[in-house]
Amino acid sequence: MGTSRHVERRTVLKAAGAAAATLGLAATTGCGGDGGSGDGTVTLRYAWWGGEPRAIAIKKTIALFEKKHPKIRIKPEFTDYEAFWEKFQTQASGGNPPDVFQNAVGFLRKYDKRGVLMDLKGQADAGNLSLENFRNGVLANGQVDGKQIGIPVGANTMALVIDLKAFQKAGVTPEFGWTWDEYFTALQTIQDKLRIAGDTGYFSIMYLYDLYLRQNGKAFFTDSGLGFTEDDLTQWWEDGHKRVKSGLVADPKKVEQVKPKSALSAGLAASEFTWDNFSIRYEGEGESDYGLAPIPTGDGKDTGQYLGSLMLSAFSGTKHPEEAARFIDFMVHDPEVGTIMGYDRGILATTEQYDAFTPTDDNNKGVKAYEEEVAAAGALGKITPHPSGADVVEAAFLRIGGEVAQGKSKPADAAKALFSEAKAAFAG
Amino acid sequence: MTLVKEAPARPAGKRRPAAPAAGRRGRRRENLAGYLFMSPWIAGFLLLTAGPMIASLYYAFTSYNLFTPPKWVGLDNFTTMFQDPRWQKSVEVTLKYVVVATPLKLLLALGVALLLAQRRRGQGLYRAAFYMPSLIGASVSVGFVWRALFSDDAIVDRGQKILGVDVGGWIGNPDYVLYALVALSIWQFGAPMVIFLAGLKQVPRELYEAAEVDGAGPVRRFWNITLPMISPVLFFNVLLESIHAFQVFGSAYVVSDTRCGPADATLVYTCYLYQKGFKEAQMGFASAMAWTLVLAVGLVTAVLFRSQKKWVHYEEAGK
Amino acid sequence: MTTATSPAPRSTLTRRRRRGGSLVWHLGALLVLAVVLYPVVWVVGASFKPSKDIIASLDLLPTEPVWANFSGLADGISGIPVSSFFVNSLMYAVLAVVGVVVSSSLTAYAFAKIRFAGRNLLFTLMIGTLLLPYHVLLIPQYVLFRNLELIDTLVPLVAGKFLATEAFFVFLMVQFMRGLPRELDEAARLDGCGHLRTYWSVVLPLTRPALITSAIFTFINAWNDFMGPLIYLNTPSKYTVSLGLMMFRDQEGISNYGSMIAMSLVALVPVVAFFMAFQRYLIDGMATSGLK
Repeated sequence: MGTSRHVERRTVLKAAGAAAATLGLAATTGCGGDGGSGDGTVTLRYAWWGGEPRAIAIKKTIALFEKKHPKIRIKPEFTDYEAFWEKFQTQASGGNPPDVFQNAVGFLRKYDKRGVLMDLKGQADAGNLSLENFRNGVLANGQVDGKQIGIPVGANTMALVIDLKAFQKAGVTPEFGWTWDEYFTALQTIQDKLRIAGDTGYFSIMYLYDLYLRQNGKAFFTDSGLGFTEDDLTQWWEDGHKRVKSGLVADPKKVEQVKPKSALSAGLAASEFTWDNFSIRYEGEGESDYGLAPIPTGDGKDTGQYLGSLMLSAFSGTKHPEEAARFIDFMVHDPEVGTIMGYDRGILATTEQYDAFTPTDDNNKGVKAYEEEVAAAGALGKITPHPSGADVVEAAFLRIGGEVAQGKSKPADAAKALFSEAKAAFAG
Repeated sequence: MTLVKEAPARPAGKRRPAAPAAGRRGRRRENLAGYLFMSPWIAGFLLLTAGPMIASLYYAFTSYNLFTPPKWVGLDNFTTMFQDPRWQKSVEVTLKYVVVATPLKLLLALGVALLLAQRRRGQGLYRAAFYMPSLIGASVSVGFVWRALFSDDAIVDRGQKILGVDVGGWIGNPDYVLYALVALSIWQFGAPMVIFLAGLKQVPRELYEAAEVDGAGPVRRFWNITLPMISPVLFFNVLLESIHAFQVFGSAYVVSDTRCGPADATLVYTCYLYQKGFKEAQMGFASAMAWTLVLAVGLVTAVLFRSQKKWVHYEEAGK
Repeated sequence: MTTATSPAPRSTLTRRRRRGGSLVWHLGALLVLAVVLYPVVWVVGASFKPSKDIIASLDLLPTEPVWANFSGLADGISGIPVSSFFVNSLMYAVLAVVGVVVSSSLTAYAFAKIRFAGRNLLFTLMIGTLLLPYHVLLIPQYVLFRNLELIDTLVPLVAGKFLATEAFFVFLMVQFMRGLPRELDEAARLDGCGHLRTYWSVVLPLTRPALITSAIFTFINAWNDFMGPLIYLNTPSKYTVSLGLMMFRDQEGISNYGSMIAMSLVALVPVVAFFMAFQRYLIDGMATSGLK
């Protein structure tokens, strides 16, 4: 920025300040500034999405970090998922995103393409951030085109959450390596015996379709587009729609009514596909007992699963890249941080943190056991870095899948619509 | 029509007295006074509205993802938009919403305002109670209530079954959920009601008394006195409620759990605009949508303004 | 309650007719009341339900009321005391009210009572700003306030209110002022009052119902505003109530809907209090205006 512009801005600021003072606002006018101050203390903005338990835990880890790094102050910013990304987009387009923030695989390429994310390789080379000790190769989740733009804090994978009581009553036991046919037969048994649907609407979940495609040697995304054909999707949705009509999958009208509660915890169906670390919500929402079951396969072996991650990223334009890197390093490697965070953002990503934390509650124990089983059962696949626009495609998949379920759109038309919307999303 | 019995020092028989300081100097002084009084609005308009408006008008003709500089694409956004099935759906949903919700809400608001304008015991309490929905309307809890009220076997469903209608809950049903939204809008009749009430209070009692002496019944008094006297306020409410209905967003967002569904059944125009602009970062498309809305609503507004000469009664002569 | 004018002495016949009307009146009012308040009662009832019963629960009232939702608020949200959200919201709302009432009434006076060159054009422009969806202005405005380094302050949220950009309120006041008997302000002008005097001592008191209406609406809008605070406020201790509410939501874990409803109910208290305190003046406006 040139000096002349700086002076000009100062003048404008002064005028604005005067105006604010006359309006009685002076007291609330904070200092947006760069966070640097005379005594060498640096302030970093750190943003994440999530609920109250996460906020309380992260605040503890921040206090820990500040104690060990007295020259770095962390300003936390947090809200829920949807609001987070709306706010982030506004801030980033205004050149004002947080210095360090929580990130996910669907947003990596999007914000990399827009120049928002810092390549942390340089900071690692400078010794400010260690890229060692990441478990099961999850570090690769944060890599795009040879750049390290996200550092995983946790790892998780898709799972089938089941209503244990319902499965027991129906006498159905899911086993590793069970096939889709076996899975749907199980749902049929549940429907016959208990008069409830088996599943809540599997065919609108992008990440599940991704697994199905991977089992068949494809994937939902390539680096730049979709990894399947319109016919593939038409078939997938036709099967889905048939199962809604037969009652094997819950009535979408009822599923819609109980939102934001899950149809599984509302007792409308006996199972639901989701990420394993989300499974805690069912205990909190529903009356039954819930457990994790394996993903069905095509060939009795390959589930198509891979480890996904929440990660931390840094803003490419931060004024304090070194401090940001040190902060991320602390957050992913410090054992004490691991014990505080637990599996809130997935199974801890580094060995230091993984070893430091032993789950004590049933839910976390279940998640740990599940992931160990998945890892033992076969080779975990590698994640495809989603193309820019993947977040939009995911939302479209859910919405259009819902239209199919409601009978408002024919599977073939729906698949066509998804392809046309995806094309626009990737171009954006 | 004589409105004020003892208007001080009113020149007899003169409908339009000359401005206090007539002549060119007076006019210049009036201009100056006008602009001085308007100065906050002018500053706000130039600083906060005009710039962003012009920017968004420019974006409407560009491809703009908020990060890379806008690229001029001419009318592309508009042609894409008109062919976009979701855009067409949003227009259909919005028109249906406006046409059904606005008149019903205003009728209820006016009816209740007339009721409350009568002096009765406890009228203050009623007024406050009727305004409650507007107070909590934007709150997140409304989303929960509305979903609960319009679900299977909830009160609305039970009510309609008594009437022999069995369509189930409205919330999950793409064919009915929009009417749950309409109901939410009507339920919040408090704002136009308060404006009607304030307007009704401006009608001088003397007019009614004079009419009563002349033997006019309640219906005639309503048509001949109340309606003309509150017509500026009625006009305001009609105009504003229609504009608001065209721009409805919050309730669709809350009732449909932020997705404006199911199956796009509550995809009101602004919701789609919002998804395009803030979720998909297609600011060019979103701006094209915005300006199309401005033109459409502007047209409706212009027609309404045109029509007011016929039915709106202002004390100030001419405009 | 004070009333505008004392009615002329009436015959016993009219009085009896009024008593019959009174019954019908109350029946009608009660009917509307029942419909209007059912959802309100539902919200209140829900705030006493255990968190997992709130969504998709069809019952009006809890089977066994619990206090946990409210008592949980005492600990604050995500480590921030609940009072802090309230203070922030209150500051925002009060400033917004002051800004809107002052700036909109001045602007409205000019539109309604002063004949100046370009008035019709500016009026059309002002109505035009009503038509533009707020969301498309958001990004350019954000960039402006960022360049002024005013992000994370209240300034972006209230600046527009002090600059009469809320065309809705200007328009409302214009409609009211245009409905005022012209003779009053003309008389004042003939008496030699300047526009400022006329505005202050003649027009403003008569426009009181509109001013109060605007104040009430502004207060509620500011109090419930979600998008503005979300975009402009970064530091959680500066968050308003509406942002605080979202902290109970968690797509990946357990959402605390119980506390969310409880808090949204507690958040209503200032709004209802504000409304109760001022709604009286809506009605008394004419009585005190000297227009008897």
